[in-house]
Amino acid sequence: MDVLANLGLGFSVALAPMNLLYGFLGVLLGTVIGVLPGLGPVATISILLPFTFSLQPQAALIMLAGIYYGAQYGGSTTAILVNLPGESSSVVTAIDGHQMARQGKAGLALATAALASFLAGSFATFVIALAAPALAEVALQFGPADYFSLMVFGLVGAVILAHGSVLKAVGMILVGMLLGMIGIDVNTSVPRFTFGVPQFGDGIDFAVIAMGIFGIGETILNLERTGAARTYVQAVKSLWPKLRELRAMLPPACRGTLLGSALGILPGGGPVLASFSAYALEKKVSAKPERFGQGAIEGVAGPEAANNGAAQTSFIPLLTLGLPANAVMALMIGALMMHGLHPGPQLMRDKPELFWGLVASMWTGNLMLVILNLPLVGIWARLLTLPYRFLYPAILLICAIGVYSINNSALDVLVATVFGFVGYLLYRLNCEPAPLLLGFILGPLIEENLRRALVISQGDPSVFVQRPISCTFLALTAVLIVVLAAPAIRSGRERVFRET
Amino acid sequence: MKVRLSADLLTGLLFVALGGFAIVYGSRYAPGTAARMGPGYFPMLVSGGLTLIGIVLVVRSLLATGDALGAIGWRPLVLVLAGVLAFGLLIDRLGLLAAGIALVVAARLADREFRWLEAALLAVGLTLAAAGVFLYGLGLR
Repeated sequence: MDVLANLGLGFSVALAPMNLLYGFLGVLLGTVIGVLPGLGPVATISILLPFTFSLQPQAALIMLAGIYYGAQYGGSTTAILVNLPGESSSVVTAIDGHQMARQGKAGLALATAALASFLAGSFATFVIALAAPALAEVALQFGPADYFSLMVFGLVGAVILAHGSVLKAVGMILVGMLLGMIGIDVNTSVPRFTFGVPQFGDGIDFAVIAMGIFGIGETILNLERTGAARTYVQAVKSLWPKLRELRAMLPPACRGTLLGSALGILPGGGPVLASFSAYALEKKVSAKPERFGQGAIEGVAGPEAANNGAAQTSFIPLLTLGLPANAVMALMIGALMMHGLHPGPQLMRDKPELFWGLVASMWTGNLMLVILNLPLVGIWARLLTLPYRFLYPAILLICAIGVYSINNSALDVLVATVFGFVGYLLYRLNCEPAPLLLGFILGPLIEENLRRALVISQGDPSVFVQRPISCTFLALTAVLIVVLAAPAIRSGRERVFRET
Repeated sequence: MKVRLSADLLTGLLFVALGGFAIVYGSRYAPGTAARMGPGYFPMLVSGGLTLIGIVLVVRSLLATGDALGAIGWRPLVLVLAGVLAFGLLIDRLGLLAAGIALVVAARLADREFRWLEAALLAVGLTLAAAGVFLYGLGLR
C-alpha cells in the first residue's frame, strides 16, 4: 500500500468531528495540567488516564496522544516562564529559555518552542508513515524467541540510555516485573502473589500504580521541597517572532528535528535523550558557544524540536513491535491494553483505520497545539501564578477520584496510597521510577514469550541464538552492555546528562 | 566500623528484602521445567535477580561513599498519604462529598501555612467542582 493512501485514510479518521474534538480536549487538558509546576508528561498522562477509559479506543488513543503533546509543551512553558522544568526533557529548555524570559523575550522563547515543535512534529509524522509499515512487515515474521530477545534488548537499551545508576534501574525493572506477576497466571490458572485478596486476581491496574507513583508521590515530594510557596512568573509580551528571529531559529530547529526523530526510535530513547543531545549539538556547531546559558535562541529551538520529534517517533517501536521505549510509551501500551488492543505488527494490519488515524492525529494535534498555545499563552502564564496551595489539593483529588473511577473500587485507592509512598521513597532513594513501569508492562510479555519459545524448542535455550532475528537482538544487547562497560563512553554518557 | 545510611545502601537492602520475600513466598508455586514452565519458574528467576542486585548494591555502598539520605519531611508525607487513605476508606461509606472534603483538608494540613476557613472553602469548592465534572460531565460512575 502506498503512503499517501494510508495517510488519506488516516486523515479521514483524524478529521472526523468527534476525533478532532477529543484530540483538542487532549491537547487542552494536557497543556493545562502539564503547565503546572512539577508535573511532567508522565505525571500528566497518569492523572488524566481515567478520562480516556470510557471512550472508544480510537478516540481514547487520539486524546491520549493529544494529552502527551500538550503536556510536553506545557512543561516547556513552565520551564521558560518560571524555570521549573516539570520533567527532564524540559530541563534543557529551561537553561536558555528562562534566560530569554528574564531578558524580556519570554514571548519569543515560547513562540520558538511552539514553532520548532510543530516543525519537528510534522516531519516525524512522515517518518512514522514511511517507516512503520516496513518495520511491521518485518515484525510479522517474529516468533516467540525473537520477541523475547527484542524485549530484553529494549529493556537493556532503556537502562543504558536512562540517566542515573544502571544497577538501580535494572533492579527497578525487576521490581516492576514482580508487580506484574500479581494476579492469575494465564497458562496455569494459579493465582500468584495475590495474598488471598480476590480483587488482586486480575492483577493491579497499571493506572493505579502510575497515579500513585507519579501523581501522589510527586506531590509529596514537591511539598517537601518547596512548601506551597510560589515563584515569580515572567511577564509575556510580543509573542510573534520577527523575520530575523525566524531565520535564527530555523537551522537549529531543523537539526533538532532530524536528531530527535532518529533518537526517538531507539529503545530507551525519546524526548529526554533527544533534548540533551540536541543542546550539546547546538553548542558544538555554534560559532559563539559562550552565548549558551545566556539566552541563546538556538538553545531553545534545537532541543524543543528534538524532544517533540522524539516524542512522536517513539511511537514507532510501540505501534509496530509492541515495544514501549520509555515510560510514556509504557503508559500508552497500558492504556491500549485496557481497551483490549495489543500493539504490535498485527495492529496495523487488522485495524488500519486506528493506526493511521493515530498517525494523522499526531499532525492535527501538533497543529492544534500551535493554534491553541500562541494566542492562549497568556492564560497559561496566569495559571502559573495560581498559588500551589490551591493546586496540589486539586491534583490529589483528581488522582483519588480517577483511581476510584477505573473499577469503582475503594481498594484501588488504598493500593494507590501505598504506591504514593513507594513513589516518594523511590525519589528519595534516587531510583528512577520509569524502569519500574517498563518492567511492569513488559514482564508478562517477556514471560509469555520465554515460555512459548522454550515449549517450541523443548527446553533447549539455544533457540535464542539459533534463530537469526533473535540472535541479532541478543548480539545488539551484548554490544550495548559492552558499550556501557567501556569507561570512555560511560563518562561521555554522564557528561551528556550532567554538564548540559 | 560505622555504617553510613546512604541511598544506595537502603535501596540495596530494600531489593534484598523484596527479592528474598518473593523467593520465599514464591516457593509455593511449582517451578516446572524449562520446556514446561510452572507458575513458579519466572518469578524465581526475577526475584533471584533482584536479590543479587540488592546484594551488589549493599556491598558497593559499604565500599564507597554514596549520596547521603536527606532529612524526611514527615508532615507532607504522612498527611498527604493519610488524606488519600481517608478518601479510599470513606468513599464507599459516606460518598464522594465527605471523602473529597477529608482528602482536601488533610492535604492542606500537610502545608505549614494552614488556615481553617481557607481549607474548608477550598475543600467544599474543589469537591463540588470535581463531583460536577466527574459524575455529571463525564458520566464516570
